[in-house]
Amino acid sequence: MPSEKDKSKEQKAAESEVESFRKDLGPFVVAAETTRMAMVFTDAKESNHPLIFANDSFLQLAGYSRKEVLGQSVDFLLGRPADPAALTQVEAAFAGSSESDFEICFHRKDGTTFWANVFVSPIRDKSDDVVQHFASFVDITKHIKEEEHLRYLLDELNHRTQNTLATVQAIAVQTLRGAANKEVVDAFEGRILALSKAHSLLGRKLWQSAGLRDVIDQILQPFGLNDRRVTRFSVKGNDVPLSPKAALTLAMVFHELATNAAKHGALSNDASGKVEIAWQVESTPQGDRMRLRWQESGGPPVPPPGRKGFGSRLIEGGLAQDLDGEVHLDYDPGGVVCQIIMPIQRQVGR
Amino acid sequence: MNSPFSGRRALMVEDEMIVAWLLEDMLTDLGCAVIGPAGNVNQALAMIEAEAIDVAVLDINLNGQLSYPIADALGARGVPFVFVTGYDEGRILDGYRVFPVLQKPFHRSELSDILAKLLAPKEPGVEPVIAAVAKESS
Repeated sequence: MPSEKDKSKEQKAAESEVESFRKDLGPFVVAAETTRMAMVFTDAKESNHPLIFANDSFLQLAGYSRKEVLGQSVDFLLGRPADPAALTQVEAAFAGSSESDFEICFHRKDGTTFWANVFVSPIRDKSDDVVQHFASFVDITKHIKEEEHLRYLLDELNHRTQNTLATVQAIAVQTLRGAANKEVVDAFEGRILALSKAHSLLGRKLWQSAGLRDVIDQILQPFGLNDRRVTRFSVKGNDVPLSPKAALTLAMVFHELATNAAKHGALSNDASGKVEIAWQVESTPQGDRMRLRWQESGGPPVPPPGRKGFGSRLIEGGLAQDLDGEVHLDYDPGGVVCQIIMPIQRQVGR
Repeated sequence: MNSPFSGRRALMVEDEMIVAWLLEDMLTDLGCAVIGPAGNVNQALAMIEAEAIDVAVLDINLNGQLSYPIADALGARGVPFVFVTGYDEGRILDGYRVFPVLQKPFHRSELSDILAKLLAPKEPGVEPVIAAVAKESS
């Protein structure tokens, strides 16, 4: 900390510097002093980057008087003790010779906190040396609080959805117990659990998107995807971000394919059956498209189902209708092949 | 029924009756003798006092009450347990994230896999998770 004597010296120097600004830049200084954007200038020649100018908006935001802030090191707003990560961020921004932009939590004089988006830019003299830094502050506290609240509501909603699905599972299993055969109960339970896994993945990503690899991982785990004793799956392709609707539909489709393979196809025998899942994304004038192939081998031949059950309906209809895709499901004697072609949003927005 | 969990005494803590019934059926099918369900913290603590328990399944949110005191009581007695929650795992309190978690809803095979791990005979020299946590917090 600078002593009172040093401080007043620095302050005097700062004031004379601002005075010289005023002469050189007249209206600009008045604008900086009165704008609603909180801003400061710091001295880059001193190692602790003391404040040499602070406008009214900054003082209002931070809750200090001008006298209290001028000459202070730039990190005085971080509170004591300062969060080491925040301190590193601030020091890096003011030590740097390029522009930087970050969000940080500051402490006011009265102990309350505020979140600010800080923009720091170096100011160079004629010989290109950094002599000062300019920093502006936008109060984003309201935005951060709203985001926290939204996150909380979404967590609650996810929790309730998962609890409701758990209740549906419990009601179904107990209602059907004794009244339907075990296969029917298992099929129903499996579908509810697949739906819930997709919901849970999307919930973690704030319902913005889910990765194809995560969807495959979650859904095929119960079918031995990561079984270290026997390798039944091969999964090849770069991760693709899926929209919520695509993630839900594909989760249900993979679940049906795997259930069918476990019952009749490549996952129904001891260990010789394999499932290969491979995909690539291609660009077309209409946008990106994904071609995905589910290929079974080494299992007994699977006869096509006599009537369209929920599974084949979901596989063939779900993708075509929900996702504007194409599906070709072949009961090849060598193993079931399912080819999926569907549009992929390049960037999944909110 | 011959099951790896035959005769193991499982405490279940779950406030939602219908879900508790399913859990009870799952545990019974796996061969466990079920203790509970306890629907709140005090009921569970009383059961832990009164009964011999080999393993426990703990819903984290019991109608607004959190079940961490139950976890502490089980930990103090060296009883292994698994948390059950409909929340994301990230919501679990610091210091309790080392314990296994089942995301609701779950399949009986997921429950069975976790119980097998919790009830596995301890390898000599390997410190159980609960003892390690108790040491850390003391």
